[in-house]
Amino acid sequence: MMKPEKTQLTLGFSPLTDCAPFVVAKNLGYFEHWGLDVTLQKQNSWATLRDKLHAGVLDAAQMLAPMPIASTLGLGVAPIHVLTPMVLSQNGNGITLSEPLIKELLSVNKIFQLDFPLDAKLLKNVIDYRTQHNQTKLSFATVFPYSCHHYQLKDWLLSGGITFDDVNISVVPPINMVDSMLSGDIDGFCVGGPWNAKAVRGSCGVTVVTSSDIWQDSPEKVLGFLASFAETNPNTVLAICAALKQACNWLDSVPNRFETAVMMSQEGFLGEPLEIITPSLLGSCLTQATLSPRSVPSYNQFATTVDGKDVNNPDVEYGQWLLQKMQDSGQIPDNTETTGCIEGIYRSDIYRQISPLLAKLG
Amino acid sequence: MASIKNKQNLAQSAKNLRILLIDENTHRADLVTAALGDSRYEISHLASPSGTLLKQVDQLQPDIIVIDIESPSRDILESLHTIKNIDPKPVVMFSSEEDTDTINQSIESGVSAYVVGDLEPHRVKPILDAAVARFREFQKLKTELSDTKQQLNSRKNIDQAKRILMKNKNISEDQAFHTMRKTAMDTGQKLDDVAKTIISMFNSL
Repeated sequence: MMKPEKTQLTLGFSPLTDCAPFVVAKNLGYFEHWGLDVTLQKQNSWATLRDKLHAGVLDAAQMLAPMPIASTLGLGVAPIHVLTPMVLSQNGNGITLSEPLIKELLSVNKIFQLDFPLDAKLLKNVIDYRTQHNQTKLSFATVFPYSCHHYQLKDWLLSGGITFDDVNISVVPPINMVDSMLSGDIDGFCVGGPWNAKAVRGSCGVTVVTSSDIWQDSPEKVLGFLASFAETNPNTVLAICAALKQACNWLDSVPNRFETAVMMSQEGFLGEPLEIITPSLLGSCLTQATLSPRSVPSYNQFATTVDGKDVNNPDVEYGQWLLQKMQDSGQIPDNTETTGCIEGIYRSDIYRQISPLLAKLG
Repeated sequence: MASIKNKQNLAQSAKNLRILLIDENTHRADLVTAALGDSRYEISHLASPSGTLLKQVDQLQPDIIVIDIESPSRDILESLHTIKNIDPKPVVMFSSEEDTDTINQSIESGVSAYVVGDLEPHRVKPILDAAVARFREFQKLKTELSDTKQQLNSRKNIDQAKRILMKNKNISEDQAFHTMRKTAMDTGQKLDDVAKTIISMFNSL
């Protein structure tokens, strides 16, 4: 077996449903199996997680899929080359509208029930009505400027003819989303699990669409390393990837997912009750407190998609597609050189070295 | 006497710097506020900023924001500049962990923020003084850089416009420059703007 250059490691994760691969790899001893002594460090802020990775305080971290690109291009931070050898999850986000907004939407459109996924044109009618009657703009929140949530919300609104200029957009941390909605500061949000489910269970919001309805099977969280770390510790990188790949494979089975929900409900991970964490892991999207859940088999995907494709391969095409989304959102300054940068960030070549290692396990 | 004292107070409050302190630890926040009692800093404390942080920043227009690096609200601050185009403010982050210096090195070249060790009340004032000074220096460098870029661009435009005139009117470089300068003076425009007009006119032909 290969020898990792560095074995004492600190990995950063964000307390969200899709941190499952880290929790599983740690709890089932997969890291240990590959000769690693891993400490998981919970990070409440994406910006702080990023700064700690850049500073080398974290050896690797769960990142939002666009973050390695933002780091490398120096968006909102001093540029530093971050790469990802592995996608950790697909989908997992949802858009939730507040109960008062849903009432308004039903009344403006003169309808009595909602069809899911909700057609954003119904929301457009609310926005037009508010404009005609000189009412305030609706406010929406996402979790970070460089996040799939930001682009998914933008794309869903656009599908109904709504632009970001028609609404107020802000960033609210996932753990504060439900409170912000309850206090009336925001009318809707795009966030990952378990926070959509929490809003529905608390009768505070209605989850009208999931990210897999907006973009089918797109990478959501990735494993990020500093390129300099990956260069000096190639075996450590492979060992971490192998352990996380094993965890992702284990997560493919539905009974295992319930076990994972139990692990994640512990304080130190999500610290939320099972009734909030479990549904999305089992392919169930809670919609409204009074309605049955909706079946969304691809809600959280960790190793294999519903139609049998590999989730974890960080295909260059994904990176290029995200870069395009960032460009379309006006986040990349005009004079930024982006040609060829994705090839150095989304690194399938490293990912491909994992399967021979796992094959040896038998 | 009373009126003089009032004037002094006014002059002082004009120079006061407003601080927004975001810290879930109310006890620590109280100590910090007490430590700044007789200084030019005016402190507002926010214990659990969920949702209200944006409003607070909007209402208070703080000169400095002080925040625990582990607070989820850091992402809100980070987004103010990116999404809302709000002018960057100096952000002082404090951390109870040991790795403060390392993190500081990695962020110092990029943003208007820096990290200090745990907020000890007696150290707060010097820390804030340093943060304000550093932020001003950083902003000055940034302005200088953008001025220099602007000057370079304007020189490029003038050269290009001169070449266009020389070629199309068959005149010398001196004559081209004089023509442009005269136009600028006659129309009360900047030389750079005249150059831009010439370039765009010839580009559209």
